[in-house]
Amino acid sequence: MQLAVNITVLAAIYALIACGYVLVYRVSRVLNLAHGELMMLGAYLLLMTATQFSSHWLAALTAAVLLSLSTGVLVYVFLMRKMTGEMVLAAVLTTVALGILLRGAMVLIWSAQQFYPAQPLQIANVAIALPGGARISLCAALLVLTTALVYGALLTFLRFGRWGVRMRAAGQNPLLAAQRGINLHAIYALAWGLSTLTGALAGMLIALDAGLNQTMAIIGLKAFPAALVGGLDSLAGALAGALIVAAAEILLINYVDPLLSEVVPFLVLIAMLIVRPWGLFGTREELDRV
Amino acid sequence: MSTLLLCVDKLEVVYQRAITAVQGITLSAREGQIVGVLGTNGAGKSTLLRAISGFHGIDDARVTEGSIVFKGRRIENSEPHAIAQTGIVLVPERDKVFPNLTVAENLAVPVAPKLAGSERRRRETQVMQFFPKLGALRNRTAGLLSGGERQMLAIATALVCRVELLLVDELSLGLAPVVVDDLMARLMQIKRELGITIVLVEQSAAVALAVADYSYVLENGRIVLDGDKARLASHADIQEFYLGNANGGQRRSYRDVKQYRRSRRWYG
Amino acid sequence: MSRQPRASGYFRTGYAQDLKLVQTRAERASLALLGAVLLAFPFLASPFLLDLANQVFLASIGALALMLLTGYAGQISLGHAGLMAAGAFTVGILFRETQAPFWITLPAAAAVGAVLGVVFGLPSLRLRGLYLAVSTLALHFLVVYLGGEYEAKRGFSTGILIDPPVLAGMAITSGHAWYGILGTAAVATLLLCLNLLRSGTGRAWAAVRANETVAAALGIGVAGHKLLAFVISSALTALAGALFAYHRGFVSVEAFSLFLSIQYVAMIIIGGMGSLLGAILGAVFVTLFPYGIEVALRALPGAQRYAGTLFAVNYAAFGFVMILFLVLEPLGLVGIWRRVQTYFLLWPFKHRPLAGRRR
Ligand SMILES: Nc1ncnc2c1ncn2[C@@H]1O[C@H](COP(=O)(O)OP(=O)(O)O)[C@@H](O)[C@H]1O
Ligand SMILES: [Mg+2]
Repeated sequence: MQLAVNITVLAAIYALIACGYVLVYRVSRVLNLAHGELMMLGAYLLLMTATQFSSHWLAALTAAVLLSLSTGVLVYVFLMRKMTGEMVLAAVLTTVALGILLRGAMVLIWSAQQFYPAQPLQIANVAIALPGGARISLCAALLVLTTALVYGALLTFLRFGRWGVRMRAAGQNPLLAAQRGINLHAIYALAWGLSTLTGALAGMLIALDAGLNQTMAIIGLKAFPAALVGGLDSLAGALAGALIVAAAEILLINYVDPLLSEVVPFLVLIAMLIVRPWGLFGTREELDRV
Repeated sequence: MSTLLLCVDKLEVVYQRAITAVQGITLSAREGQIVGVLGTNGAGKSTLLRAISGFHGIDDARVTEGSIVFKGRRIENSEPHAIAQTGIVLVPERDKVFPNLTVAENLAVPVAPKLAGSERRRRETQVMQFFPKLGALRNRTAGLLSGGERQMLAIATALVCRVELLLVDELSLGLAPVVVDDLMARLMQIKRELGITIVLVEQSAAVALAVADYSYVLENGRIVLDGDKARLASHADIQEFYLGNANGGQRRSYRDVKQYRRSRRWYG
Repeated sequence: MSRQPRASGYFRTGYAQDLKLVQTRAERASLALLGAVLLAFPFLASPFLLDLANQVFLASIGALALMLLTGYAGQISLGHAGLMAAGAFTVGILFRETQAPFWITLPAAAAVGAVLGVVFGLPSLRLRGLYLAVSTLALHFLVVYLGGEYEAKRGFSTGILIDPPVLAGMAITSGHAWYGILGTAAVATLLLCLNLLRSGTGRAWAAVRANETVAAALGIGVAGHKLLAFVISSALTALAGALFAYHRGFVSVEAFSLFLSIQYVAMIIIGGMGSLLGAILGAVFVTLFPYGIEVALRALPGAQRYAGTLFAVNYAAFGFVMILFLVLEPLGLVGIWRRVQTYFLLWPFKHRPLAGRRR
């Protein structure tokens, strides 16, 4: 039972991070390899606002979320905008470079020590007993809830109205999309903003639950296989992929070898690339387009 | 005479900061006109249309000289989406539909900011009436359509925008003559009913001259000849190089044509 | 290889001339000068500079190998560090378990690299672009994990120590000896690449990179050539990893992080995609970069407080420079060089003349 809870929590983490990969990929075919770092930045932003607004946890969280949203938009406006229309690979490498830059900058600003943003906010991370003898911490429960809410909102937004279709169109053929009146810059900025926001939310909740140091970005990278397993352009797929990767990881760590933790997501990724490279719910044609 | 809608003046386009594709292009379109642009491969026809409809980062192209004025506003080097929203819509030569989206989804893509929801639906039904065949294919993936159907879809999507000036790049490319005739007839009907202006780029002079009110001939990035239907159709060089019937309709052997080509001179 | 005009008044009149490596007298002279400088360098340079040169040679081998794969055959790899690790660990494991001398371990490392090349390359038969990059990234983690497992299981948790290679009864430890060995290896790699690229294989790679369908239609075995590119590149990379292991005398997984892969990718980008000269320039740039940062920090007043976190400054600056190149000069250092050349070739004109007027 505890195993099931652990899987759910990890899947929620991966899913919340993975939807950021999907959002950016869907509109621009760019794989944002700086997502882990942006997520970590979100967590550090919470640390910053937590000291500013100590005791008002809602104010601190809101401020941090807004800051992350603007970070994402700024990243687009000042960096990725220059890469519109360039080769996809160049854009991906730009995100890699951004990740390195952010990582260095974050060490310089916040040093490599461990922080607990929950402390200044006076959030008691109590364990909640669940039926069946399992336990879940308050923040982890919050994380699962947030993931559900975020996915509900995003899926509704993309399913109804024309913007879901327009995002896909922009991803498939940006030039034609622009010629049909779609403001590429606006749609890209929106995707980057939302992606950073959701990633940062995940980072903040993880930091509240388990503390925060410079290794957090690795979680972001490990969530990427979840996005690909589900299909890089499918939001529902990211959810399924997160579940699969999380289940595989928890089970293998438990029954085989704890050292595997770092590689399991990538093992699942390789398996998926061999069997069905476009992912569970992805569009098959995507493969030929990159 | 009707008002001037589009006015291109001494246009020069340079690709990759190094390759000049067209130079000194001056061209105008009046409201309700069909303007033809003729030229062989690589003459710069697509470049001209792309310059009007706006370049995008990947093209690495710029209008380096001259101006493009649409409804009194200069639009050269604007963003494509901004130009599209002023009412200029391009039906490109290749990649004219989103292949992974269905026909209905393709029609949902264009952004027409000043159209309310009901107006837009009315417009979609109207467009569908021009191309009844598309209605039956609503849920087909666009990548699976035939060339003619794809062209229809591309024109239909263009019309869903608030189009005033429709730019069509090589409508006849890769299509059977009957399909071209059919599409052309529909295009004329659309033009009459919606009152739009059309710039029609063609390699096939027969297709363009049949409908265009005024035409320009482009070669090596320059305009070498222009005139109305009567003037061009009777021009000896057009007869010879584009329609292929010199000497009063009598065909000549290719050897003669080639020799003559070497020494041809355009004159106005 | 497509070549720009080299000098005024020099026209090539036959295919053989087109293929010649050194074409004009000026080229021959500058090449001789470069050779002389390289030969004289170890006798003039301080041990520190010598060590830098050795690092540059090592990096050049890896960068050339990656350039072959990515810049010429068009196959993207983010798993370069994994292959280096494979070479280094082959040396480490063989040395630890069997005390094998270098003339066994080096070929073994190359062989392991070649086999891994097939493994890394197999996804390329089905995947392209981004998906391929991701698959190599995943394989990188796998290889590094296996190396870590070996370290942990055999109790070398801090790394594997390797004795210096023994050549003709002498242990190679001095910087001068390494300069000779690594310099020769780098030049040999460069010549191998040059020759591969002007052979049929190189042209087939160019075709595969440009358009696989057309390449197949031209009768080029697309799958075979892709795999060949992976195999050759991986073998060279593993060899570089093996030399790296001997040079450092020490193997540990920490040295082969994802950052190393990124550094190699950065080398070929900063140097200039699709150019061997670019690979070398990039290797020089990336290798010397951290030292440059250190010098800059020491020179700047008030920068002392960052001395403790030099690696972080280095990280941030490296990311920044990589971004600068990607955004401002996608063609890299070679692109700058070519633009200067073109400027003088076209002078007094700015653009090439109107298209179609070439007759
Ligand atoms: N993206 C591009 N980059 C560089 N040159 C281009 C590009 N597109 C077109 N050109 C050049 O511009 C000229 C005109 O091309 P284009 O407008 O496509 O001709 P057309 O449509 O009349 O066949 C050609 O010489 C072509 O080589
Ligand atoms: Mg064209």
